[in-house]
Amino acid sequence: MTKATTRRFFFGGTILFTLVFIGLTIQTHSTIAARTHDDQITDAVRNGLRVWGHYNCENCHTLLGEGAYFAPDLTQIVAQRGDVYLAQFLAQPSRFYSEERHGRLMPDLGLSPQEIQEVIAFLGWVGKIDTNGWPPRPILVSGVAVRGLPGVETSAVASGATARGQALFNGAGACSSCHAVAGDSTLVGPSLAGVAARAGERIAAAGYRGSAVDAAGYLRESILEPSAFLVSGERFATPTHTSLMPAGYSAQLSSEQIDDLVAYLKTLQ
Amino acid sequence: MIYRSQRVAYAYFLAAVLLFALQIGFGFLLIAKYLGPDPLLGILNFATAKACHTNLLLVWLLTGFMGATYWLVPEESRTELHSETLAWIQLGLWLAIGVTTIGCYLAGVTEGRKFLEMPFPLKLGVVVVFGLFLYNIAMTIRKAGRFTTTEGVLIGGLAATALLFVPALIHFDNYTLDRFYRWWVVHLWVEGVWELIQGALLAFLLIRLSGADREVLEKWLYVIVGLTFLSGILGTGHHYYWIGTPPYWLWVGGVFSALEPLAFLSMAMYAYTTLRRSGLSHPNVIALHWTLGSAIFSTIGAGILGLAHTWPQVNRWTHGTHITTMHGHLAFFGAYAMIVLAIISYALPALTGRTEEERQTRLGLWAFWLMIGGMFGMTMAFAAAGITQTYLERILGLGYLEAQQKIQVHYVMVLGTGTIFAAGVAAFVLDFVRAGAPVTAPRTVIPRAVAAR
Repeated sequence: MTKATTRRFFFGGTILFTLVFIGLTIQTHSTIAARTHDDQITDAVRNGLRVWGHYNCENCHTLLGEGAYFAPDLTQIVAQRGDVYLAQFLAQPSRFYSEERHGRLMPDLGLSPQEIQEVIAFLGWVGKIDTNGWPPRPILVSGVAVRGLPGVETSAVASGATARGQALFNGAGACSSCHAVAGDSTLVGPSLAGVAARAGERIAAAGYRGSAVDAAGYLRESILEPSAFLVSGERFATPTHTSLMPAGYSAQLSSEQIDDLVAYLKTLQ
Repeated sequence: MIYRSQRVAYAYFLAAVLLFALQIGFGFLLIAKYLGPDPLLGILNFATAKACHTNLLLVWLLTGFMGATYWLVPEESRTELHSETLAWIQLGLWLAIGVTTIGCYLAGVTEGRKFLEMPFPLKLGVVVVFGLFLYNIAMTIRKAGRFTTTEGVLIGGLAATALLFVPALIHFDNYTLDRFYRWWVVHLWVEGVWELIQGALLAFLLIRLSGADREVLEKWLYVIVGLTFLSGILGTGHHYYWIGTPPYWLWVGGVFSALEPLAFLSMAMYAYTTLRRSGLSHPNVIALHWTLGSAIFSTIGAGILGLAHTWPQVNRWTHGTHITTMHGHLAFFGAYAMIVLAIISYALPALTGRTEEERQTRLGLWAFWLMIGGMFGMTMAFAAAGITQTYLERILGLGYLEAQQKIQVHYVMVLGTGTIFAAGVAAFVLDFVRAGAPVTAPRTVIPRAVAAR
């Protein structure tokens, strides 16, 4: 092998692979619009990306798994937490987390209300990007995802309303990313340990303004209209008495799924 | 020093070494924040300190590459530099941009794209600096009329570095496209064209340190950089698994990035074989250590530890964890930091008018072993942190914050081994300053070349 041969290997290979790379780039570029729902990039999403950059978010957080590892991944954060909670959190992170209890605290970045809405819009759009199935399991900010191995949740489908509800609670419904079901542990929303027993007391209490007449009705109402009854504690509601829990479950879940969830929650005595 | 104008390299090396020390200072702040309670919370936040840490890395390495080029090109082309003044102006401008950039970060002005956080006008400044640099080098070679393969590969790498900076100047509203083209800069720099720079500097050092036949070494240099591009260009695909790009990248990225260790492995064999044949007889033992060390550590850090998490079925679980920190630290150190330290160590005696024999090697060797040991320990600590994090957070489903509390002990290990590393850096700086003090009677010293056996 002479130097001329190895030179040909270098130049030939480089030119060939550069051309293949450029070809694949053109192909990829043409598919991005559909894979990322490009049509849903509103002005808010566009500005939200700038907010994301301006506050240097990815030098603490990861998004699509890219960034720094000092703070949680935010790819699915809007689906997990809801925009009402996130707006309250971003306005004052220390209201929800403390260094003593959680080991990390996000600094108060002084975002304006508009910037908060924009960055949430941006993160919500990112959450819908087709990522080839990443992450394989939800990445939580805190708590524990009490799940079986992948596949176990599917096998629970045929085994009755309670099991289906439990699978939904821990899986696709993402309820468990905010609510613990044992002990007095507060992740984001209140612990649901004993919620079925408390439901009766709540609707009988003098301050109750909702329309439920029994425990099942209360549980259903708390999913569909989270603000109908607010658990005391400033971490659970905005100053204007809106629950921090996402309000869109009537559209996201079928009535059968809600029945299943209620059946499961009724077991939490 | 054979050519007077080579002396500009000294200023570039001094700047590089000092910026390196500053980078390590920010590293300590980062690990203190991981250990908590967060020092300087709300004053100098993690994101700012992290941007300073990584940007200082890029800046000192590039400063080292530029200094190395100003040292190497006159020797290779056998001429004085086209303009020494221009090289000084370029350094001044480059450092001014660097200082302004850090100032901007501390003041909260950033574009917030990891590694490319620099505000847009300063990015244009970088383009100007690279323009001046490449012009000066091109004119030097043109004037000399002698152009070797080694310097061709080096300058090819530097010119491609400048060219690939262009995507950093473009803003995309679509985050996926923003990521996609960001990797054109970051990946194609560190796993592409910078390897040309590394390969060329390695070839230059091997020619000088071993006295081996230039034709043979340059023949194999083509093989190494050929393998780099064969695997590295399509290997960009390992960043395109999960960011919204089509699934065929899982195959393309997986297969080609699995070939990436070949280039590093061949580089290590190249360095080892060449130096073994010469019997390690060159009097500059410090340069010998860094040169062979770089070839070996880049194989482990960039090659093997990269391979450890590059396959899609693995990366699916490890993506976005400290597994990347593990790989990143040893890869940058082995491939780029060590080769810059090698060329500094090689050039320093002649740059300061000393012969190799006159130089005390004790402190320099301490610097080598402390840095090697410290970085190896940090890599292992990050590996333990990354594996535990992947298992707890990604496989068992424990929350991020809970998983972080479980891996605190590994951050203590990073602090301990990082301290050893920092002691090595301090020794290197001290050695540089001592060896860099001008000798009483200035004279011209030509670095020794060893005859081939």
